[in-house]
Amino acid sequence: MKKVFSLLMVTLLLLVTVVSGNIQVGAADDLAQLKAEITWWNFPNFMAVDGVIGKYEQSIITAFNQKYPNIKVNLENIDFASGPEKINTAIQGKTVCDVLFDAPGRIIAYGKSGVLADLSDMFTGEFIKDVNNNNIINACKVGNKYYMYPISSAPFLMGFNKNMLEKHGLLNMLNLKGDRTWTTSQYKALLEALKAKKERGAIIFCSSQGGDQGTRAFIANLYDSSITDEKITKYTINDQGGVRGLEFVVNAIKSGLLLNGSASDGTAAIDEFCAQRVSHTILFSSGLFATKKDQIKFEPIMVPFPSADGIPELEYLIDGFCVFDNGDANKIKASKLLIDFICNDSIWGPKNVKATNTFPVRSSFGNLYKGDETMTYLAGLTKYYSPYYNTIDGFAKMRTAWFPALQAAFTGDKTPKQALDDFVKVANDSIKQ
Amino acid sequence: MDNNSLKAQGNLIMPPLKDARFRRWRTMPKDIHETIVAGVFLLPAICFFAVFVVYPIIVSIFTSFFNYSINRFEFLGFGNYINLFKDEVFLKSMKNTIVLVIGVVPFIILFSIFVALTIYQKSSLVCSFFRGVFYLPVVTGTVSVIVVWKWIFDPLSGILNWFLETLGMINQPIMWLGDKHYALWSILLVLFTTSIGQPIVLYIAALSNLDKSHIEAAEIDGATNWQVFKYIKWPCIMPTTLYVVVITIINSFQCFSLIQLLTSGGPNYHTSTVMYLVYETAFKLTQFGYANAMGVILAVVIGFFSILQFKFFSNKVEY
Repeated sequence: MKKVFSLLMVTLLLLVTVVSGNIQVGAADDLAQLKAEITWWNFPNFMAVDGVIGKYEQSIITAFNQKYPNIKVNLENIDFASGPEKINTAIQGKTVCDVLFDAPGRIIAYGKSGVLADLSDMFTGEFIKDVNNNNIINACKVGNKYYMYPISSAPFLMGFNKNMLEKHGLLNMLNLKGDRTWTTSQYKALLEALKAKKERGAIIFCSSQGGDQGTRAFIANLYDSSITDEKITKYTINDQGGVRGLEFVVNAIKSGLLLNGSASDGTAAIDEFCAQRVSHTILFSSGLFATKKDQIKFEPIMVPFPSADGIPELEYLIDGFCVFDNGDANKIKASKLLIDFICNDSIWGPKNVKATNTFPVRSSFGNLYKGDETMTYLAGLTKYYSPYYNTIDGFAKMRTAWFPALQAAFTGDKTPKQALDDFVKVANDSIKQ
Repeated sequence: MDNNSLKAQGNLIMPPLKDARFRRWRTMPKDIHETIVAGVFLLPAICFFAVFVVYPIIVSIFTSFFNYSINRFEFLGFGNYINLFKDEVFLKSMKNTIVLVIGVVPFIILFSIFVALTIYQKSSLVCSFFRGVFYLPVVTGTVSVIVVWKWIFDPLSGILNWFLETLGMINQPIMWLGDKHYALWSILLVLFTTSIGQPIVLYIAALSNLDKSHIEAAEIDGATNWQVFKYIKWPCIMPTTLYVVVITIINSFQCFSLIQLLTSGGPNYHTSTVMYLVYETAFKLTQFGYANAMGVILAVVIGFFSILQFKFFSNKVEY
């Protein structure tokens, strides 16, 4: 009897395995045959191939089409200056793309507005376990729904012109050991030494809106302030440390150690660094280095922001994808397949991360930059990551208030304290709205 | 006109048809007939105007009474308008806009008349050359011209600072677009250079069409150049002046691309204009209702200024 029962169970198990296998194969076949036409809007995060933006992305699409021949992907490259407005206009006009490659700051705001498709089904137990980073996972969701599928991450740092420092014998004023951390007084000494050698300091850019996170992190670090509280419920950069930080910057501009960037945007400030007209930039990253590689004719060196206690709190970039809900289930399905291919394909996943010159969120991808000293150094900075506040309510409104606050302090319209107090008031009001 | 000639005229417009409706058409009174034909010819333009001008205006006015964003559409009544008059940034932007208009329009008119008077009697080659020079910024495209101005104003590598430093007029580079003392003046200068092309061409055309016998008669009677200008040329070009003033004021009120590309409204809103603020509020903050309320206020202000101009100039215009 036992034997008969065992035989029956084994037969049943085999039957279930075969049937479920067939279903899975059938489902995979169905997906491979899925017919759809989708549009992918892409900020310039991947490296340009042969100086052509979008060429690398086209190679991804070609590879994707070998696996999914019936999904047509239309690529449109957008830029950081006008792209966000284009997306907002398109959302309103119901002409927005299907897939967007961006960062949580904007994506989560779209998610809160209810225009994105839920990606929760892509956040499998295996994926969450592989990412193994609550900061990153939490940055991708609103409530219980996931709206951004992350692929890579990298810290924002300062960039110095190593050749320029060597030429003037000032390289030893940077800490090049360990995590390269340093103090605000060491930074001030370097600024004075650079001025004595008739070299210009960094441009504290505050025009347009791009790159604003770099200026916030720079000022917050100088005297150990923090942009928000630990639980990210309110802005706190108007505390004593924040005010001292902004006073330091205002005084450094007045004495010619740093440059007033009221008329310069982040891109212009980085371009001036690349053109060697300034000694350093307060916003640099491995990804930026990759996209500017052709313009840089010197060796840049990345260091964290200086702080009073020598322990920096770094802002970091998370790259990821979202899918707009355009009311077509087929398009949403196709978009998810594209994202899955870009982020998780065994060959193209790691290759795509390397093409952004950032670090994979999947730990299983391992060290993609073996032998690269700079990337190995950057990979070790995650312990300095600060609370990720880019998903806070009213983030867009807060951003529009930040640069005017800096400009008000730089032009003397307001004292640093008044400027930061007014900024924090607007920023905290934006959370409530 | 007898019936036969009316028929003959009708035959010119429509081929002879036996259908009763077309017989009625051919025997219709001439004024009604012409009105219908004119209406048909105007129909495409009217449709275009209705869809792309009238409809958006109506929607803008309607949505200005709502808290309208990507995911909200709540009726506020006059809430947006009340908030606007408490909004320091809006009031500052309105002030900047009015300063731009008052600061630039009189100079555009004066300079255009001066250039036109100087060159309109020169040889056609010289006249065409100067017309081309002054009209070049108009046909080059706003973005290209503004990018060049941005390079000129660049504090580190701009030619303006280099030139002034070379002449020993300044010791430190000036941040033309980032210093509150210079930013609005810099914008005024760019707005001026990009706005003078069309008025100059119009004034040259108007002056070239003047009846020379009037001027010659005045000169024979011993009139000075100033008297000739004041009593003959100026009244004769008044219709052109009315057009130029109205159009230049409207364009200056709607100054946007200059601000967007040069300063983004900075430093600390010292160059922000209402049009730029409309753009920022609508497309960066997605507060469409609030932005539309700003647009409506701006339209009212432009309308008010336009009425003033017609009141002031129309008595003096003789067509």
